[in-house]
Amino acid sequence: MASVVNIGRRIELVPIDPHFKDITIALYQQELESRAVYRVHTYSSFEGAENRIQEVSYAMRILGGMQQNNDGLLCFPCGDKHEAACRRVFLEACKIAPDTSIQPRPLKTLDKKSKQTITVDSVENGIYSVRSNGEGRSAERRVAAIAAGLAKLGEMNNSKDNDPNSVVFPCGQSHDELVGLLLVRAPNVRVILREEESVAARGVLTAPSQQS
Amino acid sequence: MQHTVKQMSGRERVLAALRNEPTDRTPVCNPTSVATVELMDLVDAPFPQANREPELMARLAATGYTELGFDTIMPVFTIIQESSALGCKIQWEQKDNWPTVKMREPIWEDVDDINIPKDFLTHPDTQCVLEAIKILKKEYGDEVAVIGKTMGPWSLGYHCFGVEPFLLLSLDDPGKTKLALDRMKEATVQFGIAQIEAGADALTLPDHATGDLVSGEYYKRYLRDLHIEFVERIPIPLILHICGRTVDRMEYIAQTGMAAFHYDSKNEPKESMDIVQKRIALIGNINNPETLFAKEPEDVKIEVVKNLEAGVPLIGPECAIPLQTTIENLQEIPIAVQEWHRKNG
Repeated sequence: MASVVNIGRRIELVPIDPHFKDITIALYQQELESRAVYRVHTYSSFEGAENRIQEVSYAMRILGGMQQNNDGLLCFPCGDKHEAACRRVFLEACKIAPDTSIQPRPLKTLDKKSKQTITVDSVENGIYSVRSNGEGRSAERRVAAIAAGLAKLGEMNNSKDNDPNSVVFPCGQSHDELVGLLLVRAPNVRVILREEESVAARGVLTAPSQQS
Repeated sequence: MQHTVKQMSGRERVLAALRNEPTDRTPVCNPTSVATVELMDLVDAPFPQANREPELMARLAATGYTELGFDTIMPVFTIIQESSALGCKIQWEQKDNWPTVKMREPIWEDVDDINIPKDFLTHPDTQCVLEAIKILKKEYGDEVAVIGKTMGPWSLGYHCFGVEPFLLLSLDDPGKTKLALDRMKEATVQFGIAQIEAGADALTLPDHATGDLVSGEYYKRYLRDLHIEFVERIPIPLILHICGRTVDRMEYIAQTGMAAFHYDSKNEPKESMDIVQKRIALIGNINNPETLFAKEPEDVKIEVVKNLEAGVPLIGPECAIPLQTTIENLQEIPIAVQEWHRKNG
């Protein structure tokens, strides 16, 4: 029978994979030669489970612009952790059904709230600048809010000139695929946070007096 | 004192601590579930099946010992097995969530409705527990303590009458409430004795007179004497489990003669030990939702040490752990206990 293995610190979990026999898939973080590396893992021994792990790892490579070594460990080309962003890449990768064509997400999205198209430009030194095709104060506010959403989801910083519409990863390098992936969610970070709270609350046993 | 004791098996260690006798080191004990979704995958025993099929229940429970290194195995993950056998409607949920009683559809409205069915102990959901205990006793009985669970009448009252109706009854008609508890306690006794016969070494007895809704005086009025009666009628070490802040009733709990009280992290280890003294062993109280679920092994270690330094005689999570808890945080509990003893004897 299989046994628990020491494969690092678990940073994210999908308790039920809707695409393969309800297995649990986890993302573990390790350190390899001073670089943060990630392993997608399941304890399931179902036939096909390993293949599913490879599918998720592949999706992470495409969606997050990650690299994979011969041991199946994933990392960002810059070597930084980008932990929060990596967790989002993992969660999105797990949502993709097998045999789906996977493409990096574009640096452009429709903001449903303002009905405007939001575009992120990759400028020099890893700085990303957010803009919209709308005009006026409302559009400005949405652009700033979406930039703040990117910063929150990707643990990014404001650029040095404190432009509220520009963000940069701590590594100072470009990660276009990662920004494209985060951009889809950046317009409504509150929904993400509520989803995370809901997922975290699931599986917590409460006393009968607190159950409905 | 502990370093003078010869090396013990997990079972010996736990049972000695429950008898308030010396141990070779502090036992790591889970009176409630330590099942996680990853462990379910590891042994192919997912919820809800692992709550309804004895082989799966036993296999998943065993990981508490084989994978996590605890000194106990506790197969009764849920708090609804006997409520199901009593006739409550159950929402069995999926792998990632706990089954619950549909308390908005209560089965009893009045004390005279209380009826323990003839098939209470042969119902599949109570039988599952009994069979799982037999399997575990046979396979691991010499190594670790196999702990069963029988729900107390206050918890059964919530499940069978609904939380609000039962609490209102306790406010409006203490006499009827005592009669209801008196009738429901037979389910607690019957299921407890059946688990002893199946091979359990100790029993957890959750009775959810929790700190949020029930006062210490309420505990004294309605439950203390009943719990004393359980000690007399169920001849095995009993571990009372009540969630929440309970220091206001620990004095009364210590008077029951129960072997142990499984206590919540809302109570400080030292203040709790000061109240119970040596009259009852405490088990706990590593925080679930914040520490085990969301923090790191170093944080788990801090709480383990806090309990050990307060003299808490059995260490474990405060309650059934969240199903998404990391394995490494759970493994840290026995690691931290052993490390502490290497340094402190």
